[in-house]
Amino acid sequence: MAQSNLATALPPARARADKESTLLANLKMIAMKLFGFVFTVFISSVIVFFSRWLVPGDPINFLLRGRSPNPEAIAEVTAIYGLDKPPLEQYWHWITGVLQGDFGRSLQYRQDVTDVILDRLPVTLGLVVMAGLMIAVLGLAAGIAAALFRGSWIDRGIIAGMSALAAIPSFVGAIVLIAIFSIQLGMFPSFGSGEGFGDMIYHLVLPSLALALSFIAVVGRVTRSAMMEEFSREHVEVARSRGITEVAVVFRHVLRNSLGPIMTVSGLLVAGLLVSSAIVEQAFGLAGLGSLLVSSVDRLDFPVVQAIVLIVVTAFVAINTLVDLLGPVVDPRLKAGKGAR
Amino acid sequence: MSLLEIQNLGIDIRVNGLTNRLLHEVSLQINSGESVALVGESGSGKSLTARAVLGLLPAHATTHGSINLDGTEILGASKAALRQVRRTTAAMVFQDPRSSINPVRTLGAHLIEPMLQVPGSNRAELEARAVGLLGSMGLSNPEARMKQYPHELSGGMLQRVMIAGALMNDPQLLICDESTTALDVTTQAAVMELLSTAVRERDMGMLFITHDLALAASIADRTYVLRRGEVQEAGDTRQIFTAPTADYTKKLIASTPSMRSGPAAGVHTLPSTEGAELVLKVENAFKTYHPSGQPAVKAVQDVSISIPAGGGLAIVGESGSGKSTLGRIVAGLEEQDEGTMTVAGGQIETGSAKERRLARASRVQMVFQDPYQSLDSRITPAKALERVLKLHYKLDAKAMKARISELLASVGLEEKHANLLPRKLSGGQRQRVAIAKAMALNPRLLVLDEATSALDVSVQAKVLELVNKLRRENGVAVLFISHDLGIVGEICDELVVVQHGRIVESGPTGQVLNHPAHEYTKSLLASVPRPRWAKDEPVREPADNNSY
Repeated sequence: MAQSNLATALPPARARADKESTLLANLKMIAMKLFGFVFTVFISSVIVFFSRWLVPGDPINFLLRGRSPNPEAIAEVTAIYGLDKPPLEQYWHWITGVLQGDFGRSLQYRQDVTDVILDRLPVTLGLVVMAGLMIAVLGLAAGIAAALFRGSWIDRGIIAGMSALAAIPSFVGAIVLIAIFSIQLGMFPSFGSGEGFGDMIYHLVLPSLALALSFIAVVGRVTRSAMMEEFSREHVEVARSRGITEVAVVFRHVLRNSLGPIMTVSGLLVAGLLVSSAIVEQAFGLAGLGSLLVSSVDRLDFPVVQAIVLIVVTAFVAINTLVDLLGPVVDPRLKAGKGAR
Repeated sequence: MSLLEIQNLGIDIRVNGLTNRLLHEVSLQINSGESVALVGESGSGKSLTARAVLGLLPAHATTHGSINLDGTEILGASKAALRQVRRTTAAMVFQDPRSSINPVRTLGAHLIEPMLQVPGSNRAELEARAVGLLGSMGLSNPEARMKQYPHELSGGMLQRVMIAGALMNDPQLLICDESTTALDVTTQAAVMELLSTAVRERDMGMLFITHDLALAASIADRTYVLRRGEVQEAGDTRQIFTAPTADYTKKLIASTPSMRSGPAAGVHTLPSTEGAELVLKVENAFKTYHPSGQPAVKAVQDVSISIPAGGGLAIVGESGSGKSTLGRIVAGLEEQDEGTMTVAGGQIETGSAKERRLARASRVQMVFQDPYQSLDSRITPAKALERVLKLHYKLDAKAMKARISELLASVGLEEKHANLLPRKLSGGQRQRVAIAKAMALNPRLLVLDEATSALDVSVQAKVLELVNKLRRENGVAVLFISHDLGIVGEICDELVVVQHGRIVESGPTGQVLNHPAHEYTKSLLASVPRPRWAKDEPVREPADNNSY
């Protein structure tokens, strides 16, 4: 009467074929995502490049500012910057240069854009990475604590605190942090990016915190709600019924299963992080990409604007592609070729 | 001293300042090697009792009485003591294996996790034991299974994994909470076999919780009947089922078709439909799904069925047999790939997409399995009916109101239910609302897709009665899709059995159930749980066992 056929596995040959097809499907999925990445970046590069024609103002005027508009001089400068060529050719010239690391020449600095950007990159990179770490550690900690003590005054306090944080714009946060930690307590510098690596980290503590504050609130709330949902799942009760310690239940069965939504939201937050970094750099007088972008827009330095926007877009798309690729690792049900039944 | 001794257990829960008594003075004993069933309907407190044995109580619960498990007092025990009990003394197998195992961890991790936390345990040893247990649960390739994830296995296989996990630490008490309810009938039979073997071989005590009386009768030495947190009757299983004393037990048994016997419980007869026009004619229907990255699923293959006006046809099969797909095709929710279908005379071809949709809706309506999900939680029954009626008829406010009252009355609901939100209604009331919505357009055909499976037996009996009343009074034909062979005889004159998308057997219900010709039908019938004391009797002879 026992229906043993229900429990028989695939014969070995088919199991092997299955394994091979799974591998193939995985490779196919990775290839598709990478293609999507390249395609998105390409489309963005087109938009970034051609949007220059939508902006009022002619770069030539900026280049010749303060000088007599001598037609010959205009023609000469136009030729130097390649502005006399048809737009498509200009794009081709630009994009092939970009692929070799050449973003053209800055109009305001009269230097290679690549050099200008490389000068500023470490500060912004340090700022974003430090803020990212703070967001991950403090956001997760706040979310886990709220979920652990759900319904209690700890939970309510954390929620209230996070709501307040989320409502504070980063420039206000920056001013408050400067007022408390550099003026009152004198613990951290309020201006500049310092000399050398260690000093830079020290100088970046307050800016990173100012940048991270509202994002900590978002990650904390997502963590809390994802974990709350996971806590109500039956497999969590099953785990408890089997005598598994509460710590293991929380980390291996609740947090582990909540990583999917947390990662997805975090990936999307990166865009906001990159944008807000411009404001924070301004507030703390940091010479980073954000402040460079603001001043370049101001002066119609389009090669620099295009380069920074393209870099930011590429970073954003790359991080989200990475999140997508990690999806099946975090949740095996997402593996290609296998529906979650 | 018994292995488990529950004495005068009471559980109260405080919600919004109100105290709700969930269990009243429940006493229950289980000895080593003894199987005890705890039966009752939803809300009776049977799951609560089972969880209390492991110290798993809801938040804000207060308890009194005593639960003594192998010398340990569970109520008020320390966390460490509870962990000890859960790891070594008692283990539980839950209802739905699919949601009981962490979907993102391997089966091997699931199996060894609790024992791995015991100091001095050895991973390799535990893995070897887990592989051995998986093998003894009838799972092939146990080593490979250890690295698989839950979604790669069927529900029946997962429940075997759950049982293996429960046996990892050689518990003295095995608690099964509706452990086979989510499984197909043949799988249920196999898992029940495994459970009774495991209990016998290890001389374990078993607490078997179920709403299915027949299942309890097939496994338990003694039975407790629970209702609203109170034990109504307790004693020897056979005694309880053959000579019940409590009224509630009698009612439960009367509501369970497969527990009844004798001539009174013959196949339901309705006025003859001989010579009536056909309201449904499906000929040579095919439907194949092509999920991406997976082999094609042939859900329906060369199926032909027909139902006369006022007739009742049951489609019986296990999950994945294509019975629901067929129902969805008939209701117009899916399109068949090949074959023809005529509903209530004439095909619906003319008019715009919307006109065709409305025309089809007025001929066929469907009632779904779970009334907790099929009703919009923000919409009252009256509003829901009004929306359906508005779509099809132009009624003035007075006529609308009258029609809504009439519909609600026809499904046995009162005026006071009309303006309650679904969450204030019981499962049975919700399903009545769903049926009222389906009947609002006077359809010629009603498709019931497992429409009573989510309901308690006594509620199920009433809903089946209602469907029969609608058939009698409105002449609506019924396509009844079910996995439960026990109830199809209540409602349908004709029966088709489907397997892998094909009809393997068809005919009048009584004939198919009493004289099955196809092997699959026979195995389905053999898998229906039967009382222990009936096990030695011959399988279902029409003369002496007419319970269908």
